Amino acid sequence: MKKILGKYLIYLLLFLIVLPFLIMYSAFFVQAFSRGISLGFIPKKLSLSNFDFLWSTIPWGLRKTSIWNIFLNTLIFASISGFAVTVICTLTGYALSRIEFRGKTFFLSMQLILHAITGQILLIAIFFLLFYTKLLYKIPGVALARASLEIPLGVWMVKGFFDSVPWDIERSAMIDGCTRFQVWYKIFLPLIKPGIGAVFIWGFLFAWHDFIYVYTLLPGTAPLLSTLIQGLLATEVVDYGIIAAISLFYILPPLFLFIFLQKALMKAPIMGGKGMV
Amino acid sequence: MTAKIEEPSSDILTERKRPFLKINSHWYFLSPSILLVSFFYFIPFLLVFIIAFTNMDQKFNWQFVGLINFLKLFTLKDPLIPRIIKNTIIYITSTLPLTIIIALFISLLTTRINQTASLFFRAVFFLPRLIPPVVWGFLWMWSFEGTRYGVFNSILEGFGVSPIHWLIKFPMIIVICANVFLGISLALLIFTSAIASIPKDYTWAAEIDGASFWQISRFIIIPLLKWPIMTMTAWHLMSFINSYIYIFLITGGGPYHATEVWALYGYNAAFKNYKYGYGSSIMVVLVIINLILLVVCLKTFGMKRMIERSRIEI
Repeated sequence: MKKILGKYLIYLLLFLIVLPFLIMYSAFFVQAFSRGISLGFIPKKLSLSNFDFLWSTIPWGLRKTSIWNIFLNTLIFASISGFAVTVICTLTGYALSRIEFRGKTFFLSMQLILHAITGQILLIAIFFLLFYTKLLYKIPGVALARASLEIPLGVWMVKGFFDSVPWDIERSAMIDGCTRFQVWYKIFLPLIKPGIGAVFIWGFLFAWHDFIYVYTLLPGTAPLLSTLIQGLLATEVVDYGIIAAISLFYILPPLFLFIFLQKALMKAPIMGGKGMV
Repeated sequence: MTAKIEEPSSDILTERKRPFLKINSHWYFLSPSILLVSFFYFIPFLLVFIIAFTNMDQKFNWQFVGLINFLKLFTLKDPLIPRIIKNTIIYITSTLPLTIIIALFISLLTTRINQTASLFFRAVFFLPRLIPPVVWGFLWMWSFEGTRYGVFNSILEGFGVSPIHWLIKFPMIIVICANVFLGISLALLIFTSAIASIPKDYTWAAEIDGASFWQISRFIIIPLLKWPIMTMTAWHLMSFINSYIYIFLITGGGPYHATEVWALYGYNAAFKNYKYGYGSSIMVVLVIINLILLVVCLKTFGMKRMIERSRIEI
């Protein structure tokens, strides 16, 4: 009896902690699909009018832009960042996993140390750096700056994938006359497809979600979804329905990407391929 | 880390292909990351120290003024500094213990109940990691809105209570909660996986001996979790000292600097008031604190152990 009571107590406690969040999340969804809310999460009038932004214009400062313009900007920003992270991490991860060189342990520990010093506190200096290299207020420059934040941990991630590939594959490729670069490009990259996917999602997602870099280094000139939401929140009259709808629109694409890539990645022959190992 | 495998002597084969220009092949692989990392980490690192000694403003004049910025900070010529320091201390001393304790508490509870239910609870607590910062900030800002359109005020309205100005009355508490529940999402993941890897025999043996849930947690699970708790504490200490994005989004440091912490003050000084030199000097203090913390962490944890993160010492 006491034990059952204890079990219910656990559920009750957990439920009480979770409750405010459930209210917040449900209010968010309900608000996106209705005119207003009452009592937290009861819709006043269900409608899709909040999603009108998909085909009408939205105010951005004094001008008006289309959401698809902003969506495209965000997509370009996140793709550049994800692509840069993928290329650099796969190159560096291979070297750290396979090649012996002087200062390797130093390089590896450096990556961890770099991860500890976040880029947020170096933002002023990055601002000036981009200003003097004429990259400020331009999507590629800021995307590269954002990508550099994810490299330290991404390198570790990819290195793990490279470590799991047997040495024999590389040996036989090199005996057949491959150079290091050919081994990397022709043998390893197809083998660690899941790793490449993972690190691309990693770089893409963080750039897609990024706020402070975009807000500080790309103000006004190229609106992104995150700065758009912040801009709408900072106006005098705030329409929470529209912001909730745009937020939903903002959250979904990475999820789709994840599902899409996951399906593609699952098909990759990782280790059990014919003639391998 | 996997055991070190001796590299095959295959470089002999590639040796004859590059007879004159002898650049080791690893430089091809390493140079992109070295370039990018040095460009966006090391140069800004030096630059922030240099800018801190200038009175840089929106005119972008490089005028070196020596230690004036730092004197302003340390001799309290800036009337806001005591307040900022107080805020920062309150912020860190409340977020850090709360994060660890609540995460530990929830992970202990969720490992005791059945799988589906615990998965649901963990998913709800993990959601903040998957939500972009702007949306997380928006959720908190909107939930605690002062008018009757805010989520919690609309509930209060149903009970006939007039709207409360949450963000003006309790700004610090709301900011702390928003950050704590973000920190919990990571700590919870580490703690639950660590608890799951504790051999079941220990808890079973204790249960047979008649130990209660509290006793099992206190004398068996928590001592075994010493390592994950320590790493998570160090991790979150560093992230809370540097974090200002969520405060910036929820309150912007207001009302009247009530939630402005050190990092946010530096950011606002630079990008809101355009005092880049003064802002950099604030950030330099933060960078130095970070470096000291890092050295302390490396001394206590050791680099090798840092690599294998969540480990249980049995």
